[in-house]
Amino acid sequence: MENLQMLFMGFSVVLTLENVLVTMLGAVLGLIVGAMPGIGSLAGVALLLPLTYKFNPTTAIIMLGSLYYANMYGGSFSAILLNIPGDSPAVMTALDGYPMATKRNRPGQALFTANMSSFIGGLIGMLILTFMGPLLADLGLKFGPAEMTALLLVAMTSIGWLVGESPTKGVVLTMVGILLASMGMDTLTGSPRYDFGNMYLLGGIPFTPFVIGAVGFSQVLKLMEERNKKVEAHLNQKLTIRGSLLTLHDFRRLVPPAIRSGFMGTFVGVLPGAGATTGAFLGYAAQKAFKSEEPLGSGAIEGIASCEAANNAAAAGSFAPLLALGIPGSGTGAVLLGGLMMWGLNPGPLLFSTNPDFAWGLIASLFLANLLTLIIALGIIPFLVKILTVPVKMLIPIITVVCVVGGYSTSNSMYGVIIMFLSGLFGYILDRNGYGVAPMLLAFVLAPLLESNMRKAFIISHGSMGIFFEKPIAAFLIIVLFAIILTPVIKFVLRKAGVLKK
Amino acid sequence: MRKIALVLTMALLVSVAVFAGAQAEAQAGGAFTPSKNIDWYVTSSPGGGSDIFTRTIMDIAVAEDLLNGQNVVVQYKTDGAGEVGRLLVSQIRAGVQADHTLLTFNSGDLMPMLKNTNNRFENFQAIAHMAVDKHLIFVGEMSKYKSFEEVLAALKRGERMVLGGSKGDDIACHAALIAELGVTQDQLSYIAHDATSGAITAILGGHFDLLISKPAAASQYVEAGKITPILALSTSRFPGNLNSAPTLSEFGYKNVEVPNWRSIVAPKSMSAEAVAYWTDVFKKVSATETWNKGYIEKQKLVPDYMDAATFTTYGMNFQKEYLASIGKDK
Amino acid sequence: MQTKKITSKMVIPVVTAVIAVLFIYLGITKYGFWHELRGPLPGFFPTIIGFALLALSFLAFLGGRKEEDTKYPIENWYPALGVIGIMLATLVIGMLPSLAIFVILWLKVFEKYNWKTTFVGLVIIMAIVIGAFVMWLGVPFPKGLIYNLIAY
Repeated sequence: MENLQMLFMGFSVVLTLENVLVTMLGAVLGLIVGAMPGIGSLAGVALLLPLTYKFNPTTAIIMLGSLYYANMYGGSFSAILLNIPGDSPAVMTALDGYPMATKRNRPGQALFTANMSSFIGGLIGMLILTFMGPLLADLGLKFGPAEMTALLLVAMTSIGWLVGESPTKGVVLTMVGILLASMGMDTLTGSPRYDFGNMYLLGGIPFTPFVIGAVGFSQVLKLMEERNKKVEAHLNQKLTIRGSLLTLHDFRRLVPPAIRSGFMGTFVGVLPGAGATTGAFLGYAAQKAFKSEEPLGSGAIEGIASCEAANNAAAAGSFAPLLALGIPGSGTGAVLLGGLMMWGLNPGPLLFSTNPDFAWGLIASLFLANLLTLIIALGIIPFLVKILTVPVKMLIPIITVVCVVGGYSTSNSMYGVIIMFLSGLFGYILDRNGYGVAPMLLAFVLAPLLESNMRKAFIISHGSMGIFFEKPIAAFLIIVLFAIILTPVIKFVLRKAGVLKK
Repeated sequence: MRKIALVLTMALLVSVAVFAGAQAEAQAGGAFTPSKNIDWYVTSSPGGGSDIFTRTIMDIAVAEDLLNGQNVVVQYKTDGAGEVGRLLVSQIRAGVQADHTLLTFNSGDLMPMLKNTNNRFENFQAIAHMAVDKHLIFVGEMSKYKSFEEVLAALKRGERMVLGGSKGDDIACHAALIAELGVTQDQLSYIAHDATSGAITAILGGHFDLLISKPAAASQYVEAGKITPILALSTSRFPGNLNSAPTLSEFGYKNVEVPNWRSIVAPKSMSAEAVAYWTDVFKKVSATETWNKGYIEKQKLVPDYMDAATFTTYGMNFQKEYLASIGKDK
Repeated sequence: MQTKKITSKMVIPVVTAVIAVLFIYLGITKYGFWHELRGPLPGFFPTIIGFALLALSFLAFLGGRKEEDTKYPIENWYPALGVIGIMLATLVIGMLPSLAIFVILWLKVFEKYNWKTTFVGLVIIMAIVIGAFVMWLGVPFPKGLIYNLIAY
């Protein structure tokens, strides 16, 4: 119960007028940054860092923490309403969020689902962080290269759940995603590979413009066909908070996936090098293993809930190694860490004992930010939903401009726009031919992690495979992996032997 | 169509005239003072080490009123692992823009540039060398070895071990170390992480035995007793809690040192007046209390200001040695 | 086979197969596959994936032959042309004016909205771009050749 006491102490730090206002400001800015394609939490936090020099450290980190956190909410807005993920964790939200908002004509409910699940997932993550933060951070340390390799192999099999009706096509794109991700600098040797002599490709293909193009801009090209359809889809709901409320039934569908993803996301957030994006992907993929009332991808509440809860939980979980050990789990974490150092704090294993008011103040502020962001987000749903009443004809140039600006803003260069444009064209052609791009995006995120961990493991073991079987956690995960792979294979063989079909 | 062409030509002519005028103006006045915003390029992400370095200098320069009241605009150019931004700065043509352009340039930027591109140090105008950072080798709580004597003994017995660290200068440091110790890359293997924090995570979890890091990133963990410094890759021991680590010369080897320096360069085409002006600005910055207490001390760096001329010689030398070490010296 | 038209469903697997071969070739010849003690080299992972992709591309090709061809309505490419236009115009007049001109041309000329609606659309878009991206986040959009010539 000591932790609870410390948390209350944290609240006493946070609940001053200044800190509450700052949390609110962070939440609003985070929502906006999150909703803006191309500007992720990394850029948002980094851009605001200089602003915070004027505050005292506790106030400053509270603001940045809530900004980072609220960013996870904001990303879902543009994903649901425009099918453009505002930041990379929101890629999965778009899969069900956009159909739910348009085909099922329930935009308010889709946003409500996303926000509510974010809240639940985040809350679970924070509770775990409060009571088991240091413990969790130590568990994360146990995951070295060998364990991460095994875990990522298990995670990669979840792509199988994403491939949809045409498995061959899905796996083809998965492989393409992996190859695209391998372009650029090979981190282990520091030498370029597959750069084809192009200076820009030395840095590889940037993920954000790639996603904006493959998901967002290809959507514009598709929308051209619906351009002349009358807007028969008059919103059959009132544009008020009440009109966006979920029914009790909806709510029952939302809670179980949100809770599952909450736990899983927290765990993913703690792992070294994984992050909110990986969390969201896995949350969604795992949902495929459970029952959903409507098929995933067609606008199912379960789909939105599973990934939104997971990415917020992962964001909360990533604070565990950051605070307990001074290890950033993501680029954004690294910037926060840089901030801590500039404010004269020494992030590291001693932070909890040397600056308890600061550490617990930050945790308490996350709780506050979670609540405030939920209230603000729910409050603006009615205004956001109006975007859908804009005719498609008008939306096309608007989304096009947003894609261009978003592609540019990622690295402030036309290279981002070109990547956005090309991946948009290819995304469209692929989509037209029944190739869904989701597995490719998942592979693009996971494959580099897998490759670098695998190669690190082999360096440690001096080229021996033994390392994956000698370490208990790795060995267990490898067994799980074989179980997952072999089950359908055996089933398939049995079916082939029994009934010959197709 | 013809009308448009005509308008365009006119616009072009006018702008060329303005351009030429501006250039003449820049050359006419004897001493240089900034007359517009300064574009300061940083080739890594906001919030990273280079960014903090740049912003600290910028804040001091503004606070001390060294910039003639002009503002600094930090331009992040991270494409192509920073190479695109570096090439861009090196190619800026002489004129007002060249005199108002600066680039944060560390040895961690120079080494990959030399290794992977044809861009060279001489394509830039050296302005000021500000500080250096050196490396140490650490062991973790779960490491097999407790001191560098034990490491040396184990290497003599032919045991294999793994050293983890970050990219860039850490890799170069590993290469220099194994060359001096006379062991192969396969006996003392290296694992490069994206950042030092990744390597620290792995050694805290006991996934390998040795860690290479610069003092600032590791200091907290030393204080908490999670890692112990066992070797200073420097010509002398480090101060403070890192003092217990001996240098290589104490074991009868030559000292190995790959300093990671932090500096500022400009386009090659910057005018001589502007170079004199900027090198002086950074000299003043390096003498301030804020710089020495607020940056150098906190980041555990060694202050080492060099003016443009000294730094040019130093940089060219560094480049020559590095190119030779990776076999690109032809 | 001779009578069958080449469809995009057959072209895609061919393209992915070419990519696979390229990655395998470079992986083995240039980046290295496996080292006895160091384990996998930079070319290892892409090469394996390349082989898998090659095999699957073949399967996808066989599958693609049975499927019907897809149509690509010409107008669907207009936004792409628009983006090319924006990229080219950005070089000369800068990105913000290019975006504004694109919006005006699209709404007024292509969609034939009246001036009022066009103007409202333009104001909304430019408010988002300038208000959020330029003023608050300080994204330095390219200003184009003409501006650079005049400014310096």
